[in-house]
Amino acid sequence: MTKDGVQGVAEEADQAQSKKGLKKQQKEAEKAAKKAEKQAKLTTDQQSTDDDDIAKDRYGVAPMVQSSERLDRVLVRVQELTPEKADQLIWVRARIHTSRAKGKQCFLVLRQQQFNVQALVAVGERASKQMVKFAANITKESIVDVEGVVRKVEQKIESCTQQDVELHVDRIFVISQAEPRLPLQLEDCVRPEGEGDEDGRATVNQDTRLDNRVIDLRTTTSQAIFRLQSGVCQLFRDTLINKGFVEIQTPKIISAASEGGANVFTVSYFKTSAYLAQSPQLYKQMCICADFDKVFCVGPVFRAEDSNTHRHLTEFVGLDIELAFNYHYHEVIESITDTMVQIFKGLRDKFQTEIQTVGKQFPSEPFKFLEPTLRLEFMEGVAMLREAGVEMGDEEDLSTPNEKLLGRLVKEKYDTDFYVLDKYPLAVRPFYTMPDPNDNKYSNSYDMFMRGEEILSGAQRIHDAQLLTERAMHHNIDLEKIKAYIDSFRFGAPPHGGGGIGLERVCMLYLGLHNVRQTSMFPRDPKRLTP
Amino acid sequence: MSMYQVKPIVGGDIKIELPTCMYKLPNVHVPESASGCPEKTLKNRGTEVDPVIRALEVRQDDIMRRLYELKAAVDGLAKTVTTPDADLDQTVTSLSESPTATAFRGTSDLDSLLGKDLGALRDIVINANPAQPPLTLLVLHAMLCQRYRMLSNIHVHSSVSEVPARLLSCLGVNHADSYVRQRFQLGFTLIWKDVPKLQMKFSIQNMCPIEGESNVARFLFRLLAPYPSDPALATLVDSLVDTAFFQLAEDRPGHLHSS
Repeated sequence: MTKDGVQGVAEEADQAQSKKGLKKQQKEAEKAAKKAEKQAKLTTDQQSTDDDDIAKDRYGVAPMVQSSERLDRVLVRVQELTPEKADQLIWVRARIHTSRAKGKQCFLVLRQQQFNVQALVAVGERASKQMVKFAANITKESIVDVEGVVRKVEQKIESCTQQDVELHVDRIFVISQAEPRLPLQLEDCVRPEGEGDEDGRATVNQDTRLDNRVIDLRTTTSQAIFRLQSGVCQLFRDTLINKGFVEIQTPKIISAASEGGANVFTVSYFKTSAYLAQSPQLYKQMCICADFDKVFCVGPVFRAEDSNTHRHLTEFVGLDIELAFNYHYHEVIESITDTMVQIFKGLRDKFQTEIQTVGKQFPSEPFKFLEPTLRLEFMEGVAMLREAGVEMGDEEDLSTPNEKLLGRLVKEKYDTDFYVLDKYPLAVRPFYTMPDPNDNKYSNSYDMFMRGEEILSGAQRIHDAQLLTERAMHHNIDLEKIKAYIDSFRFGAPPHGGGGIGLERVCMLYLGLHNVRQTSMFPRDPKRLTP
Repeated sequence: MSMYQVKPIVGGDIKIELPTCMYKLPNVHVPESASGCPEKTLKNRGTEVDPVIRALEVRQDDIMRRLYELKAAVDGLAKTVTTPDADLDQTVTSLSESPTATAFRGTSDLDSLLGKDLGALRDIVINANPAQPPLTLLVLHAMLCQRYRMLSNIHVHSSVSEVPARLLSCLGVNHADSYVRQRFQLGFTLIWKDVPKLQMKFSIQNMCPIEGESNVARFLFRLLAPYPSDPALATLVDSLVDTAFFQLAEDRPGHLHSS
């Protein structure tokens, strides 16, 4: 019922917001309409007054593309504008990134995703004064079709990604016009933190960015981040498929909380209520019991944690692995760590451009790792912390600051940003964790860390129904509630283990960013449900 | 014979000094009956064997014997690595019957050498460039394995893209118990990394990294035998190590040879 209340409030807020938004939108629309009218008038005026415009067919606002005709025109990618293309006449579709008029010339920077090129409109044989004026007045972020000749430049253009060429514009048509007032400037969005303070130039704060995510996502940094994120997913899938894993899909609406009772979202489900899955673990395990042997899944995971930190989201993408092993759960650790190493290597080798681009705005040390991955034991970690002056008990879980400190100590000694901490105390792990056979104070469980932050928590799961019942009772868990889970193991289950990582967190830590919202396209946290 | 007869200019009894670094071959100019062409020697084996062939055989036997000895020594070492409680094989002890070998037997307590045990595996981390494998350390590693329960690991750092397969197994096979790190006295973690100079890290809290193969070798050797307490002798040892490493540095092989 609380959920209904929450929804009600949310709706109200939503409505209030949307009312305001509607008004605003209306006003803006009116404004835009007036503007367009004015502009149209202006152009017609101009046309009527400037009958002698030699280039009047070479520029203008193109009619809206409504698929009325299909031009046989090749559009070249900005990325492909290199000296090899010199002196060729080509078409490009790009956004106006910046424009700067200077007498009879107008310099445009045309942007396409992460790449941009300088374009020049100059009064001459093929362009009139009016055309230059028109080009200079195209609003930033408008999409244009440009025909021009690629010319090599003598001096490198430092401000553009295509440094060796520029485009001498013959024709320019606006395909989609942007409103003249942008809610935020792209240059401000990519300015490295701290740099703006000195010259009094603006940087954009996180919330403004997220409120205007569509524009923020156009920045070179965002383009690079999400291309890299797509790479992580791709590498994750490729590596596991190569290892003989099967990709599975698991339900997200479930009847009982999978990991304990807390932190679940309740949703109304016809006459009763259901929960949003906190992890696909139960289903992964059921697939193992159903003889799929090695499975993985990529999908949303929900956590109703009211924590507003740099690394918590209420919805994120989980990359989950579960596999049966033969004799020792280290087979599982090796499989997971190798997957991670393959991802890191793939990123290092295939996404250097993206890493560099992000590094321009958010400088960080390149991500370092070892192959095979370093595995330390929890006891060793505790000893290292104690040596560094931290006081803690043998069976105490690591606090976040201690995790970070340990990460620094490990980095100092082994120079790796990724490692596994094995053999956690049994007391700090969930009931389904397999106890250590030699010392029942410890367990067959592990955490993996990137730059000192935990990214994966996993374990050998108990695959014996009786032991599972005992452990559940020891944890005072209502057996009725987890009956279905325990029953899965009654008809023979192979020994197995697994774990899951958060896509956003892995991207954030790989790139050395400081907020998980930067690597979530449309982040969800306790205070944000839009856009 | 329509040729002139000429008087010999030199006498027929000249002694020619043949270089000794080359194989001796039967004289092809001497009439057949006196020489031993290969086929003939084989046939007449036992009755009239050419001393050259005999020498060759002796040499071959010698090489074979040395090979067997080496094999036995390696087997012995391997046995001590896989079953650390087993006594050293006879061949191994006989091999290391050098003046230094006796020094190894004076047990050195790891606690006193490396500081108090805090419950963590004492892990010696060595960063080495795969372009210059630290051959001496591999030997010292093998000797350490005889003394301690060693956990040996090899990693490749992300600064290096590819490492020859042999460098990934140069510390021998992994210990059967390697899944429980706590069961070992000493860890030896070799990381192939893009470093200009070999580097060793042990306790990051109390110890600076040690740089240079010779210095690391000194550190590792101290785990095997106490350094001479006599300052003059210690200096001598140090300078010998330095000389050795200078020579090694001059004709350093580009890749790993079996030592």
